[in-house]
Order: sequence, then C-alpha cells, then structure tokens
Amino acid sequence: MIFLLMSVFIIIVLFEAPNLVRNKHWRELVVFSILLLLAFTLALLQTYGVRIPNPGKLIDFLVRDLLHLNYE
Amino acid sequence: MKLEKGELSSTQLMFLVAGFIQGSLLTLSFSKEVVKHDIWIAAIASFLLNLPLAFVYLTLALKFPGQNLIQINDNIFGPYLGKLVSLQYICLFFMIIAANLWFVGDFIITFFMPETPILVVMIMFTFICAWAVRAGIEVFARMSFLLVLMTSLTALITFALLLKDTKFSYFLPIFEVPIYDFLHGTHILMAIPFNEVFVFTMVIPYVNKLKQVKSSVLYGLIIGGITFLIVVIRNTAVLGPISNIVTSPSMETVRLIDIGKIISRLEAIVAIAFLVTMFLKVAVFYYATVLGIAQLLKLRSYVPLVIPIGILGIIIALSYESSIQFIYTATNTYPIFSLPFYVVLPVLSLLIAKLRKLPKQKERKAQ
Repeated sequence: MIFLLMSVFIIIVLFEAPNLVRNKHWRELVVFSILLLLAFTLALLQTYGVRIPNPGKLIDFLVRDLLHLNYE
Repeated sequence: MKLEKGELSSTQLMFLVAGFIQGSLLTLSFSKEVVKHDIWIAAIASFLLNLPLAFVYLTLALKFPGQNLIQINDNIFGPYLGKLVSLQYICLFFMIIAANLWFVGDFIITFFMPETPILVVMIMFTFICAWAVRAGIEVFARMSFLLVLMTSLTALITFALLLKDTKFSYFLPIFEVPIYDFLHGTHILMAIPFNEVFVFTMVIPYVNKLKQVKSSVLYGLIIGGITFLIVVIRNTAVLGPISNIVTSPSMETVRLIDIGKIISRLEAIVAIAFLVTMFLKVAVFYYATVLGIAQLLKLRSYVPLVIPIGILGIIIALSYESSIQFIYTATNTYPIFSLPFYVVLPVLSLLIAKLRKLPKQKERKAQ
C-alpha cells in the first residue's frame, strides 16, 4: 500500500518537476513541493488509519456549537 | 504577468454559467426534504433573490476590468487584509471541491457500483477535472455548450416521457409548509447552486468583450433556472409525497419511465447527463482554487499546482464519514456558514470600493 502510494507520488514528481527545472520556475517548484509534501503526509496518515479533520464537521462545530445559528 | 492566456467569448461564458447551475441538479434533494412539494416556489424565489446578488458580483467584477477576485481583494482591502480575505475564499472553494467529489463518489456507489471503493470513483472524476483545468478555462468553456445541451435535452425528454405519469394534484395544498421552513429551503437553494455564481469573478476577467458579460451571465442563470424548474416540477408531479423521502428524487423518477417495455431503465443515461454538468461545476471551482493560489503567491503559471490540489481534495473528501453527516451539514449549517462569503463580503467590498473611489486610482496607476 505504502509502496503504491510512494510510486504514485514519484510518478507525479517525475511528470511535473523536470519542466519546472528546465524553465527555471523555482518559485513554482517550491510551492509545488510544499503542496505535494502536504498531500503525501496526509495520504500516508490516512493509509495508517489516522482520521483527517473534516471541513463539514468544522462548519458544524462553528455554526452549531459556537454560534448557535443553525437551522433545526 | 498574466496567468491565463486563453480568452472566452460571451456565449461560452453564458453556457458555462448555465452548466454550472445545472451541475447542482442532483443536490436538489437537500432542499426537497425541507420544503416538500412547494420546492418549485422555493426554486423561483431563490432564483429571484439571487438576481440582485448576482448584480453585485458582476458590478464588482466589472469595476476592475481584467482583474480577478484575488487582485480585487488586494485593491479593496489593502495588501495584507486582502490576502487574508482571498485565502478564506480559496479555502471555501477548496472545501466545495472536496464536498462535490464526495457527493459524486457517494452517488455512484449508491446507485450504480455498490461494491466499488469510493476512492476509485473520486480518482477518476478528479483526473478528468485536473485534465480539463490543466488545459485551461478556454477548453472546458468551449465544451460547455455540448454538455449543457446534453443536460437540458435529457431533462426535457425525460419530462416528456413521463407526462403520462404526472399528477398535478400533488402540488395542490400550495404553501402548506410553515414560512420558516420555506425560508430555510429557499436559503439552501440559494447557497448551493445560485450564490456559487460568485466564483465567476475569477473567470470574468478572461472574457474578451466585457460589455456583454452582464447579459450573458443573466441568460446563463435563466437557462440554469429553467432546467431547475423543469426537473423540480417533474420530480414532484411524478413521485408526489414519496419524493420527500427518497435519496435522489431525480433517479427514482427516471426509473419509472416505461414506454411499451422498450424504453425503460434510463437512469444510467440521466445520471451521466447530470454528472457531466457536475464535472463542469467542479472544474470551475478547481480552476478558481488553483488560479487563486497561483495569484496569491505571485506564481508565473498555475499548471504545476493542479495535481497537488486534486490529491488534497481527494484526501479531504475521503474524510467525510456518511451521507447523513454530509446532508446535515449541507442543509443545516452550510447555508449559514456561506452567508458571509456570498452576501456580506461582496456587498461590503462594493461599498468600500464606492467609498474609496477605487477604480479611478487604479486607472491612473495603470497609465
């Protein structure tokens, strides 16, 4: 499973990065790497069974429990 | 440095808006549970209530020609507060992508492929969206005409095939629901398809003739609204009280088509036709997110960000637990949550722009 995940991410890097390096788009490369690293970490955590925070629950908490504005 | 090199014509914008509105045809059931058979009035009311807001969005976008939402925010709120506001919008768009991905996956595994893992459906859907976004706004805007034609024709043809099953007495106690529930349902319909037109402030700068933008967005909204009305009337007239209980009224309605035992079981075709415009909707949000991040960080191209954002969207979409939780959020809390983004902030930005007399200063700077 982890091997599969890593191979997918390596393929993505090989697909995207050479063009960026060739065109000297360093800023894009940094943003791309940060986002991809974040995605890789979250995906790895998810394969290990860690629960990722859910935006729907966040909205529920914000509107229902903090502000008490939700519809019934 | 311009991020997007393509250009849209106003007709393409019109069909893009229409397809964008039609992309929410499957999410009609959120409001259906609340307003019951009066949903057609709620649909008309939300469409009419959305028009002044759409006018606000368009005025805001046209006040700063050639600038997208991120640049407009920078201009209005200043460089620091503007970045914060833009970041909030990007997060909102990203959350909508994740929610829609989950909705598509859940829809497919509920109705067609119950044994397939939801991840597979999401990856395939995201792959197509990512491909379209990498190709640029011009490509899927050009395609939108065909997709809108497909969805509209499907809605019309299924309505025609079901005419013998319709019973208009199902509508009859008009305004049976309490006014509070009616307002709730109208608000859901406003928040889920109609107000989301706000995302087009990211697209409008790339239209070639700015004078026709207003009318084309309006016509697009009208096409989308009429399709909505047709589908809503069909569902209520065919299913009646059952349509308030079922998961997806459109699917259950289409399942009833049976012309001489030959034309029957059309729901797969209808699902494809509805998912196709859903693709358009997700692609527009995807494009807005990616372009927004690229603009915020002053990158030269948004293309390298497409795949990471897609993967992040899938990961966040997988964190939804059940359709009950999803529907609870969509009906009860999301409309309130989206209020500041779609109503308060745009009106506030327009007021601030008026008070600071902003576009004039910008013109001087540009010259």
